[in-house]
Amino acid sequence: MKRRKWMAGPMAFVLTGTLIAGCGDDAPAGGGSKESAAEINMNTSGMPITKQPVTLKMVAGKAPTTAPDWNNVMIWQEYEKMTNIHVDWEMIPTSSLTEKRNIMLAGGDYPDAFFTASIPNADLIKYGKQGVFIRLNDLIDKYAPNIKKLLDQYPDVRKGLTMPDGNIYSLPMILDPNFTSVLAGGKMWIRKEWLDKLGLSEPQTTDDFYNMLKAFKEKDPNGNGQADEIPHASMGIAGLINNLKGAWGLGNRGGKHPNVDVDPENGKLRFIPASPRYKEVLQYVHKLYEEGLINQDIFTLETNQFLAKGAQGIYGTMITTSPYTLMNQKGYIGQSALTGPHGDKIYSAVGSPLASAGAFVITDKNKHPEATMRWIDYLYSDEGSKMFFMGFKGQSYEELPNGEVKYTDEITNNPKGLTFEQALVKYVVWPGGGYPNIVRQKYFKGAEGLPESVEAAEKFSKFFPKEIWPSFSYTPEESERIAALEADINSYVNEMQAKFVSGKASFDEWDQYVATFKKMGLDEYMKIYTDAYNRYKQH
Amino acid sequence: MVKKRNQTAGERVFDYLNTFVLLIILAAVLYPLVFVLSASISDPQKVVSGQVWLWPEGLTLRGYEKVFHNGDILRGYINTILYTLAGTALNLLLTVMAAYPLSRRDLYGRGVVTAFFVFTMFFSGGLIPTYLLIKKLGMINTFWAMIIPGAVAVWNIVIMRTFFQQSIPRELEEAAEMDGGSNMTILLRIVLPLSMPILAVMTLFYSVGHWNAFFNALIYLTDRSKYPLQLILREILIQSQMSDMVQVSEESLAKSIMEAESIKYAVVIVANLPIFLLYPFLQRYFVKGITIGALKG
Amino acid sequence: MELCPGLFYGGSRAAICPRIAREVKAVLKPLSPLPSARIRTAKWWESRAAKSFRKYWQLYLLLFPVVVYFVIFHYIPMYGVQIAFKDFIATKGITGSPWVGFKHFERFFHGYYFWRLIKNTLGIGVYELVVGFPFPILLALLLNEVRVKWFKRTVQTVTYAPHFLSTVVLVGMLVIFLSPESGIVNHFLERLGGKPIAFMTEPGWFKTIYVFSGVWQQMGWGSIIYLAALTSIDPQLHEAARVDGAGRLQRIWHINLPGILPTIVILLILSTGSVLAVGFEKVFLMQNSLNMESSDVIATYVYRSGILGAEYSFSSAVGLFNSVVNFILLAVVNTIARKTGETSLW
Repeated sequence: MKRRKWMAGPMAFVLTGTLIAGCGDDAPAGGGSKESAAEINMNTSGMPITKQPVTLKMVAGKAPTTAPDWNNVMIWQEYEKMTNIHVDWEMIPTSSLTEKRNIMLAGGDYPDAFFTASIPNADLIKYGKQGVFIRLNDLIDKYAPNIKKLLDQYPDVRKGLTMPDGNIYSLPMILDPNFTSVLAGGKMWIRKEWLDKLGLSEPQTTDDFYNMLKAFKEKDPNGNGQADEIPHASMGIAGLINNLKGAWGLGNRGGKHPNVDVDPENGKLRFIPASPRYKEVLQYVHKLYEEGLINQDIFTLETNQFLAKGAQGIYGTMITTSPYTLMNQKGYIGQSALTGPHGDKIYSAVGSPLASAGAFVITDKNKHPEATMRWIDYLYSDEGSKMFFMGFKGQSYEELPNGEVKYTDEITNNPKGLTFEQALVKYVVWPGGGYPNIVRQKYFKGAEGLPESVEAAEKFSKFFPKEIWPSFSYTPEESERIAALEADINSYVNEMQAKFVSGKASFDEWDQYVATFKKMGLDEYMKIYTDAYNRYKQH
Repeated sequence: MVKKRNQTAGERVFDYLNTFVLLIILAAVLYPLVFVLSASISDPQKVVSGQVWLWPEGLTLRGYEKVFHNGDILRGYINTILYTLAGTALNLLLTVMAAYPLSRRDLYGRGVVTAFFVFTMFFSGGLIPTYLLIKKLGMINTFWAMIIPGAVAVWNIVIMRTFFQQSIPRELEEAAEMDGGSNMTILLRIVLPLSMPILAVMTLFYSVGHWNAFFNALIYLTDRSKYPLQLILREILIQSQMSDMVQVSEESLAKSIMEAESIKYAVVIVANLPIFLLYPFLQRYFVKGITIGALKG
Repeated sequence: MELCPGLFYGGSRAAICPRIAREVKAVLKPLSPLPSARIRTAKWWESRAAKSFRKYWQLYLLLFPVVVYFVIFHYIPMYGVQIAFKDFIATKGITGSPWVGFKHFERFFHGYYFWRLIKNTLGIGVYELVVGFPFPILLALLLNEVRVKWFKRTVQTVTYAPHFLSTVVLVGMLVIFLSPESGIVNHFLERLGGKPIAFMTEPGWFKTIYVFSGVWQQMGWGSIIYLAALTSIDPQLHEAARVDGAGRLQRIWHINLPGILPTIVILLILSTGSVLAVGFEKVFLMQNSLNMESSDVIATYVYRSGILGAEYSFSSAVGLFNSVVNFILLAVVNTIARKTGETSLW
């Protein structure tokens, strides 16, 4: 019997460097005032991008839902005709992306650019410093008017994109801040018909929420004489806690930082899982669990079971992206933010417009960085974004008289029996996520764009935190320390969360629980976090 | 084979008990297997909510449809069969070439060589140096990349060595020696023919290994047309454990998760049925060798 | 480590009791007709090595290509082991990356959960060894006694099938069967008057379920090698034993078991070398926040540490630690085997 020796196999991870980075260091931009041959070949505006055809090699991460071979997709074929730039795509399945990326970099045969390759921040700074991922600040200013406009419009995105040394080494995936539904992702949904049947109105406070759940459980709203209703269901207790904690004023900097926010009383960073308010949240959720108001298998529930049960219509409330798309359930309405016992009303489970920083990088092997920048910049423009998401008019989408766009019937109801994605990915490549572009409501036809989702988001978007932080970027040494500390700290948070809520740990142990964090190095953790936060503020 | 004999009462009791125990084991193993078969043709909703206990509920062939809908499957099968045949042949050759010499107790350096091999079971340079080596040898994206790395398993060498040591009576070898046979003759004329059982076992072990292999393909192959079956199937099978399911545009992924339920079981059946049938086929080689006759003669 | 039972059958004593064989040889040796060989000093061409080369030159030739293979594909890349002591930067290569000594190991050892990880990993590894090792042997011994061919083949084929199920399917089934609400196991428990047990979330049950599901899955596959070994036991021994009036169980104990003992010992030694190598996939799938204290093993911990995306060196260091411990364990068991018997790895 053979055993796999490599522990690094499925979990090989990327690297850490020991280079010291200081904020404010500007790496020399390189390139003098003389124009290179590549620049001469390029048109500084309009299409085509280059006068003579140019070939670029790009590596794309292949998510399970995207087109299997981007060399055969309409969007790139047509785009080539527009731009005069031919791209040789190499597809790498996302499951082996990290190893392959390492191997490519180690072997020296990496492509001109990485597209949708989920490059983590730690790598961006590491290879940026090495010069392998080139510095984009000047290229953006000179050749990327659309991206520049977006970065100017959303300074938080620019700040999150900038690495500790002051440079930008990658292009981001941006969520339009006005597209509140997509920012919120999974929302809390309520089954309206049960509310009506029991004569209840939408809950406004955490007490209302509790009472509503109790009514769902006891008053048999589906009228079948059995107490088979599940008042609330979701997968994993963290989702519920994150959704509710805003009612206690926690998470006031958004969902990208589930464990850290700012303490309103002293303006310092606060570690949420050790704070007294958090204890109250846990006690509240514990009460819900104990009284059977939450699905008892919340800790182990898998997606498939969750969707199967939901499709039976027995969930009173649930947290998900769209009950209609996923479970074929109409009649759920979104819940707004709740007011908690201290009067707070924040919807903290919201993501940052900077969905991910490392969606696109240009490497030092690229002989046409300017043309590449123009190539990618067009995709961020309005027409470019429309093309990226919708494809081509008359072929993959139609335009309605009121200006709206929708996919053709061939895609939504494929005559040959292909599913929506299968039909779609002959034309475009966006399924799978992680791409360099901006997600806007008018062009994004996923679940978050459905009317109920948008409506739901409108309700609670007024209660989004005033400041939503993107993920912070760390220097390589900080990255390493944070990774080590977080592994332990987050484990403990998750385990104890589950134990407190399920009753396996008593709240009498709270002080011990808080003290354990100190033993795990919470102080060092918070210090690194604060340093990163200060850098973020300065940029 | 085995002559019929008169049974003592004790023997009969033993037989009944033995059969009873084996029947229990059989049932315990069989039940979940039937479940897998049933689940592969059942409505995924019912499977997941625990309504499928033994027989299929909500008959549907959708799982299999989705699997075969993928045009790459046939190519995957062909590739895998090719890799398995060639790979196993190479494996057997190399394993015998290592195991037989090491089974001679007075072979000088035997312990050192064995330790040399065993050491590699524990310590390895890791993925990157190996990849760079394969690249240097020009094997990236070739058929060889699926066969050569991992061409011998030390575990199997050791097992085969043990078999050679124990199961080939020394008298036979000594007789051949005295008849003037060289080591190669002994190996080919005497040892190998008597080693059918262990060769059958090794064929099985290596074949299954090749059949299930996907990691080498994932790392070394870039041409889809060279992908083995397992890699194609992994693509079809969307793992439902993705924790960032709520990410933007992943709802199309989530929708397919329900279908993934019956696909999961269909994939298992489609992937493994051919190789699973190898064992019953090899069972006939599990017979006692011609030891007795040779000894007497 | 050998059983030399008091009852002997047939003429092939040497084949089943090596100790006896040695004793016999020791008695015969002084009678050998070449005393002079012991008085002269040995010339180099009479050394054991030279004799071996002369006698076995063909076999050395056979061995050579395999050794070359190992040198090329295993020993040449071994310089990569250094990664564990460096901060790996891909573009600098392994040799060019900066040296950091034991930094990664210290990080691992000083982690808050270090002892828990060791306890769980070793716990599962040893549990698996102790429980999982005998089952295939027992199955093989029982199967070997079946004379109704079709029954034997059926049981063999059926029991070896679970080996082919993917881990995902296996754990999926575990979740369904052991579910407190709808699972078949709890259904029976309740029928018998008991209360449903939440198997998958109780830390106390984790290791047991992990190990026994593993036994279920691998028992048939593991028995194959023993069945093959059993075919080489001389049926004459059994005949003679029967004639002497030995019952089935006695025959199994005194003939079959000793007959496959070398195989058992070798596999035991090899298995000891995997004790700390509890795999990632199955544990990861079975893990949840409620059973963590029993289910968190080294492999899953390293995976979690890498989520931020920077940990190639760290995982290499932990892997190296695992390998060293496993290798030491194997070497120890091997030495014990060598001292107490005839069979050992080296």
